[in-house]
Parts: sequence; structure tokens; C-alpha cells
Amino acid sequence: MSSVETVSLSKSAQRLRDRFSGSPLSERVEVFDLDLPTIETSPADWIAVARFLRDDPECGFDLFLDLAGVDNLKRRGRAARFEAVFHLLSLSRGEHLRVKVILPDGTPPGLPTVCEVWPAANWFEREAFDLFGFDFPGHPNLRRLLCHDAFVGNPLRKDYAPGQRWFFAEEDLRMPDWAANSEERAGHFETQTISIGPSHPATHGIIHLIARLDGEKIARAETQIGYMHRCFEKMAETHTWNQVIPFCDRLNYVSAMINGVGYVRTVEKMLGIEVPDRGRLVRTILSEFSRIMDHCVNIGANLVDIGGLTNFWYLYQPREGIYGLLEACCGARLTVSYVRVGGLAIDVPEDFVPRCRALLESIPKFLDDVDRLVTRNRIVRNRFAGTGTVTRDQAVAWGFTGPVLRSTGVPYDVRRARPYDFYDRFDWDVAIATDGDNYARYLVRMEEMRQSLKIIRQALDVFPASGPVSSDDWHVVLPPKDAVYHDMESLIFHFKLIMEGIRVPSGERYEWIEGANGELGFYAISEAGPGPYRLKPRPPCFPMMAAYEKIIVGGSISDAVATLGSLNIIAGELER
Amino acid sequence: MSGVVDVGVRDTRNLTFSERLYLPEIVKGMAVTIRHLLRNLVRMRNLPTILYPERKRDYSGRFRGKHILTTRDDGTLKCVACYMCAEACPAECITIVAGEHPKLAYEKYPLVFEIDMLRCVFCGFCVDACPKDAIWMTRDYEMAFFNREEAVFGIDKLIAKPGLPVKDGLGYRPYYPGDGTRPPGDASSSPVIPGDGERAKLREKGLDIHHTEGPGPLNAPSPAAKAERERRAS
Repeated sequence: MSSVETVSLSKSAQRLRDRFSGSPLSERVEVFDLDLPTIETSPADWIAVARFLRDDPECGFDLFLDLAGVDNLKRRGRAARFEAVFHLLSLSRGEHLRVKVILPDGTPPGLPTVCEVWPAANWFEREAFDLFGFDFPGHPNLRRLLCHDAFVGNPLRKDYAPGQRWFFAEEDLRMPDWAANSEERAGHFETQTISIGPSHPATHGIIHLIARLDGEKIARAETQIGYMHRCFEKMAETHTWNQVIPFCDRLNYVSAMINGVGYVRTVEKMLGIEVPDRGRLVRTILSEFSRIMDHCVNIGANLVDIGGLTNFWYLYQPREGIYGLLEACCGARLTVSYVRVGGLAIDVPEDFVPRCRALLESIPKFLDDVDRLVTRNRIVRNRFAGTGTVTRDQAVAWGFTGPVLRSTGVPYDVRRARPYDFYDRFDWDVAIATDGDNYARYLVRMEEMRQSLKIIRQALDVFPASGPVSSDDWHVVLPPKDAVYHDMESLIFHFKLIMEGIRVPSGERYEWIEGANGELGFYAISEAGPGPYRLKPRPPCFPMMAAYEKIIVGGSISDAVATLGSLNIIAGELER
Repeated sequence: MSGVVDVGVRDTRNLTFSERLYLPEIVKGMAVTIRHLLRNLVRMRNLPTILYPERKRDYSGRFRGKHILTTRDDGTLKCVACYMCAEACPAECITIVAGEHPKLAYEKYPLVFEIDMLRCVFCGFCVDACPKDAIWMTRDYEMAFFNREEAVFGIDKLIAKPGLPVKDGLGYRPYYPGDGTRPPGDASSSPVIPGDGERAKLREKGLDIHHTEGPGPLNAPSPAAKAERERRAS
């Protein structure tokens, strides 16, 4: 698998190089072949390069994935202090690309905005402005996003002291300019501006929606987030590679297992170590169960939003069973911390397979009940069909991935596009729909749960009865405890690993898996220290929340609530 | 590998006449909910909800709840104050002050061992890190406090006294490939335990043995903990 990957990567990098050499940009970009094909360019050329990458038929990088700022202050051998690292995806080719815009020293760091090229860049650029102080000339709304308005400094710069506290008072709250002045039009309903949230049951977390109503319809809206921001990325920089695992559980806390798997896969790829098949199968099985759980919570809460409480109870029962299974495996229901770099914390319990099989028996019954109550229910249809509609082009432009993108008819699923673990060996279907509305998203999620059950069933069929779940590389994985007690060498490995942490070779890596609500990527930079130099998760719900204020315009408030639920916004992951 | 399934097409958007009438569908829906009601009435024990606190959920032997500090057969703490758990802790919630143990074989013991339960994320890394099997977790998850000071658990609250049962049973412990729960017999305690006063005898012989006069390992003074905390805070 790995050899095939490197060959195809070099090929795509070579093609990019050929493509650029024939274009007027040939002098202005450099193409490298790291873990991904990587392009380096300067702020002055960035817009032209971006347009070329999107519009050239041989490139076709139409989906904006991520923007990560990097501060090279403490990095050796770097030309400039700041870099803006973009990750792009070509849906037609299924290829990823990294673009580094090197921001020259001597001037305040800044680069032109690419909101015109990829509308998804909007919030990502605001985040880089907020956390790194990058300026984006031409950006339509360059304000702080995750930190509050009374915050001073840019927390992810390496010279920012993390102990500082900035207090936010009510008078610091800055409403958008358009919301301050009400607008009256002759012969029309009076418009008024209202706030929904921050603390409102319909916002599923703490999200502030400011909406201008024209009668019943939303004429303009803006969302303010950051109420749950805790700067996961700064915490990751001050901890060791293994210590980041419990923080990852708190990103998407509805399917915590998947985050952990995504993170440790990144570190394992950087280390170049292999996890035994049994460990990977456990990860696959529990990730798929977590996906079911995530969809259960999403559909259940979404139906509560429109007044259907019964389904919530029916969908929470399978979740309860899955939580029981996770707790039996690792000792916690929600914050599992089950994965470790190189494998798992502990082997699965003896009754793992029978318990999974019992869940496979019981979960479909609840799904069938919900199916009976909801799928052909006229009230649900009237509320869901045709509301919160996103077209295929919009979804791609806004950077959507996961079930929401698939509900618009794009069959992009990481498990299929770049199969990891054993997904290429199992027989399963990618669920898509075409309408892109709330109802299509509901249908896609229901089908995905059944496909996940199918995957788990096949994984259990090939699950080895015994064998290691972790690598035996004791530079990475803790030796078994009885060896630590009896064997001096194991004790030394144990001490070195706890006191110094894993030594990950210098380099960078972007690894991505299919999270419950889209492509979950982790961009990690190692400087051979005890922990990450920089760790940037690519949260799948972030671009969706950014586009939310555009999706709901023209609909009513009740539709906006239903749409927020069906986009699957998880505040822990959105605001990190 | 397999194909792509379009669920939007399979579920045609047109509802049948009876589905559009509401009433037959309401009856069908009621059939589902009443079936659940009757089933739950007959089999109350299988209800997914629990009448807490009268009934408690039965957690597994891996549950990561409140920590305990395990003891040797003579009642002293197994902890040798090596700071491994404090180092492994991602939440930085463990404070240890080491003292010199009166018995030479133990060398060190914790004068202060405190876990701030408000900072703790219950990840179990301290249990994994401990080389002496000295810190375990239990199934006790009921830790309510009235103020922040109470949330800092010292040795007096963490020690598992020999012979006394642990509340709600033992939880997450180190993993032993043998039977999954118990350490090998000789791993938990040191093989030879010299008697008390050994250091005094050595000192009488003129050997240079560092010794801090202090109380026994079980009577940790809280002023020391406070001083240590203040020192770190400043």
C-alpha cells in the first residue's frame, strides 16, 4: 500500500511540475514532493496561482480544505518567519495538494484573500488573522473569529506567552455594522434584527446568530462563534505527542474515537510504524460504531428541533449500548482516550466480539422504528424537504465534506477515495442523495448508519481471536507492565517514553480520514522535540458553520434551526 | 469495495394518498410508540434509563474514576515519588513532594501527593505511567465539592487502606497480559524490607546518609503541600 502511495504521489507532483512549466507562472512557483505534492509561492503571486490551480483542467483543485498559519520563529533553517499553508482537494481526481505561501520578513505578515476563488476561505482567513495576525487585504469581513474582541495579541505566535488572561465584558461585544442600523423599506414589512443565542437550546452548543428579519424571512444573518474556544493548537504545542490524545477526544466529542484515530494515524505515518491488523480492526469497528452514534445524536437532536421527541429516545438507545461497549474497552464513555500512537491503550475485553454482535442485532431495530416514524412522515417532509438547500456547486465552493456534501450528489468519501485501514476490503456503498436539503441529509445519514453496520459485520468476521493490538516498537509504545516490573531494559524504555515522550523525526504531514461529519485532517509539524511544533486539525464542521449564514437567508427562523441541526455542528471541534 | 447508493432516488418524494391523510399514519406511529411502552412495562429491568441514585450503573473493571494510592502489606504507600505520573499527566493536575523514606529499601516516599480533581481529565495516563503499581483508578465517579480547595485530594483521601473495600470497586489498572487484572505476585511489593531505624544505624557507623527528619509516610503535612504550591505559583 505504502509503495503504491509514494509512486502515485511522485506522479502527481511530476504532473503539476509539467503543468506549471508550460504556464506563465513557471518562474514563480516551486513544486516539491513531500508527503503531498507541495507548491511554494509568494503573496504577490498567490491569487494567480490559486486561480490556475482551481481553473486549470489538469489541476482542478476545486475544494478548499484548510488554511494553517505557521510561525517559524523556533524552527531551524527557514527563510521567513511566517508561512500560510493551504490544503486543497481535487474532487475529480481525488488528490490533495499543499500550497505554502511564504510571507516575507520585514513587513507585517499578509497575503491577498482568496475568498473570490474559494468562498470557503472566508472563515479560515479570519482564523489566521485572529490567531496569527495575518492581514488579508480585500477580505470582506476581517474580524476576530475564535478569540473575543477584547483579546490582545495573536495566541498562536510562538512569542505569545500563554499565561495571559483577557477579560471580556459586555460592552466589548461588537455587533456587525449592518445589524446596528435597522432598515426600513416603504410598502414592506418592517425589518428587525434579533439575536438567537449564544445560550439557546436550538444552537446545540454556544453559538450566536444575529439575523435581520424581513417579516418572517431572514434577510441577512451573521454567526459569531468562539464561546468554546480553548486553543487546542496552543495546548498541543506545549504537550508531548501522547498527551495530545485526551485533547483530541474533546474535538468532536460525539464521536471521540474517530478523532483519536485520525490524530495517531498522522503521528504513526510520521514515525513510519505499522499497527498490527488486530489493532487496526478494533479501531475500524469502534470508529464505525462512533459514526453510528454521531449520526444518531445528529438525527435525534435535529428531530427534537422540529418537535419530534420520541425519535430522540429511540436513537439514544443504540448510543447507550455503544457507550457501554466503549466503556468496557477503555474505561470511559465519552472521552475515550483509547488509541495510542502505535496501537491501543489496552486489548479489548474477552467478550468484545459477542458484545459487538449483540449491538449489530439491536441497532437496526431502533433504526427501523425511526424509519417508520419519520421517513414517510408528511410533517417531517414538509419541514425538511426544500429547506436548507445547498446545491452541488455551492457545497464544493464552501468546502463541505462528509454527509452534507454527499447529500448534494458528490460521492466523495475518504474511506472510498483513499481507503485506509481495511475499508477497501469490505463491501459497502457510499450513500449519496441529490437534493442537498435537510431531508436529503437525513436520508444519507440513515443509510450511512446501515452501511457502517455492514462494515462492522465484515470486520468482525475477519477479526483475529488473539494477537497484539499495538506495535512492539518500545521507542513508541509502552512495554507491557509485567516486563516493566521484571526487566531492566523494559523499565528504561518505560522511563524514557514517559519522561521524554516519543521522538518524531522532523518533518510535516497532513493525514486525513473520514470523520462522522466530513474529512477530518491533521496537519502536524515536528521539529524532533517531545511534542508537536504545530498541530492543526481540519475540522469538518468549520466550513459548514461559515456557510450557515448564507444557507439560511430567505428561509424562516424555524427552518434555520432545523438547518443548523442537520449540518451537524459540533462546538468542540468548530472552535477547538 | 462496492458502489455508490443513491438514497434520494430510492425514496421517491411522492407520498401515497393515505400518507397524505395524516390519520392512518398517526395510527401507525402510535402503534410503534405503544409497542415500546408495553414492552418497557413488561420488562422494566431492561429499561435503558436508571433510577439514579437508588440504582447505579454497573461499570466495567476498566472504568476510569477516582484514583486510589495502593499500599504495601505493611500499610505504607507503594508510591516512591518518582514523578512519572505527574510528568505523564496532560492536565498537570498531580503535585508530588518527595521525602526520604526511613526504610532504605523504599528510598523515597511522597510527603505530599495531591490530585486536583477539577483539572483531572480522567485519561488514565498516570496509571499507565506508574512503574510501581502505586496508582489505580476506581469505579467511584461521585466527587462533588463545595469549593475548589476541597477538590484537591491529598493522600488522606486517595489512600486505599488495606482491608477496606474500595467504593464501587476497582477500575482502570495496569494491563497484565496474563489474566488482565492482577499483577504478578512479587511485582507489587519489594522482595526485602529492612526494618525501621536502619538509616540511624548506618549513620551511627559514620556512613553519609542524607536524611530529612519528618513524619511517617502516612501522615503527610498539608503545610508542605501549600508551600510547594505557592512556590510553583510564584
